[in-house]
Amino acid sequence: MVDAHPGESRAGQISTIASRLDKLYEFDREPVSGDKLQSGAKFAGLFAGEHVAATEFVIGAFFVLHGVTARDLFLGLLLGNLLAVLSWTFVCAPIAVRTRLTLYWYLRKIGGPGLMIIYNIANALLYCILAGAMIAVSATAIGLAFGIKSPALSDVLPDSIGWILITIALGAAFTLLAVLGFEKLSKFAEVCSPWIFIIFIAGALAMLPRLGVRPDFANFWEVATTRIWNGIAAPGQEKFGFWHILFFAWFCNLAMHIGLSDMAIFRYAKKWTYGFYTAFGMYPGHMLAWICSGIMVAAVGREMNPGLMAYQSLGLAGVSGLVLAGWTTANPTLYRAGLALQAITPNWPRWKITLAAGSATTVISCFPLVFMKLLDYVAIYGLVLMPIGAIVFAEHWILPKLKIETSRAGKNQPLINWAALFVWVGTLITSFLLPIHLYFRWLPGYVIALLSYVLLQVIRRREIREA
Amino acid sequence: MERKILGFLAALSIALCLVFPVLAFLGKMPDEAYKFGFFCASAAWFIFATLRVFPPRPPGRM
Repeated sequence: MVDAHPGESRAGQISTIASRLDKLYEFDREPVSGDKLQSGAKFAGLFAGEHVAATEFVIGAFFVLHGVTARDLFLGLLLGNLLAVLSWTFVCAPIAVRTRLTLYWYLRKIGGPGLMIIYNIANALLYCILAGAMIAVSATAIGLAFGIKSPALSDVLPDSIGWILITIALGAAFTLLAVLGFEKLSKFAEVCSPWIFIIFIAGALAMLPRLGVRPDFANFWEVATTRIWNGIAAPGQEKFGFWHILFFAWFCNLAMHIGLSDMAIFRYAKKWTYGFYTAFGMYPGHMLAWICSGIMVAAVGREMNPGLMAYQSLGLAGVSGLVLAGWTTANPTLYRAGLALQAITPNWPRWKITLAAGSATTVISCFPLVFMKLLDYVAIYGLVLMPIGAIVFAEHWILPKLKIETSRAGKNQPLINWAALFVWVGTLITSFLLPIHLYFRWLPGYVIALLSYVLLQVIRRREIREA
Repeated sequence: MERKILGFLAALSIALCLVFPVLAFLGKMPDEAYKFGFFCASAAWFIFATLRVFPPRPPGRM
């Protein structure tokens, strides 16, 4: 709740909240100076460690259950990840390198503090759901140890007290650890990330003989096309093809590249071409790890149970790996959600906010829907934040080319850039009404956002000139 | 120097984490032995890598 004083105007409230947010992000208010720029190797390492999470166990497995063929999978992942790398390189990195600012400060200049607050709250809610999915994935591993059945593919609500207790216990543990100290835990997460990647490779390798792959690898493709990605969807699952995979791989981090939130990272890049270093995260994490989890789910009889997949392929180490993967990725997500929520929780200390975000996340994690519909959620997550990327792109590149005064150049910055808010909401409504598959909606949505924002700014300029 | 040794031992442990599943895939190691070996190599990785990242504090410091 916003701590509003009686009689305080809405503009006053927005200003108060905005100044709280500004304080939180104060340390990165100024553009990054030349001496703080990082080497390419640092970027490669950062991306390599960032894109292997517990959810990778679910995503690759779902492709198998959605009846993707091996050819569609390999080609789709190859090209989809390439498009993601190019989006980072040609959309996100150039703006970050030119401005040397985070999206927070750049969007604040463009959209005003009001839009920034709305963006932060939306981001916090989306982060909580994502962290909830990570907790749920880890819970399948703990559930296995206590003989508690994992939810079925079609489950929306929790179907047993045992599942609720496990998710609550795990959520509480993750939250408590995040409250106790984020910094040290993030350092420990760095220790975990190479090993978590090895978990995927080792698990898949050990499961291949069970699927009939011979030690000389000669029949791998035959097994892959007939026993793993055989093109047969599980009952109740939609059949996926090449385009679904390509688009999924592309939009999986939509909020980060097209949505520009990775400006926070690329502002430290020496050149915009550092965007190509994202390939070090995409191909091992979003290609190899997904292929490996596909192999593991096929080897356990196509049962969507990450805990079972990890235990059968790697034993106790696999179970620990799944819990650690969930924890190390949920930890920064909880932290970011807390940071975003700090604006609307007046004078709350960090521990209290993390506790609130963690409690909400824990409740969310009880619902199997969050990880059984993870692919759809990832699509919605990117779609919701994508219009902001389009607005910033238009302000940065298109408006100056059309010689239209940009919002950030305005002398009297309004509390909210209403045109931007209108475009954001309008794009979302239009995108959700488009009669195409959810995975493909963001692309026309991006074009709609870009064109409508530019059009509104052209009209605004004409009105100003006429006035 | 100590950091270098710890780094080397950590690298060795993670390499072992890959050797065990390869041996299992080639049929040169039974399933249970592979899982036990992988667990031990993983434990070694966590010990050496954690010590490398969080070196023990010298006595007398808070």
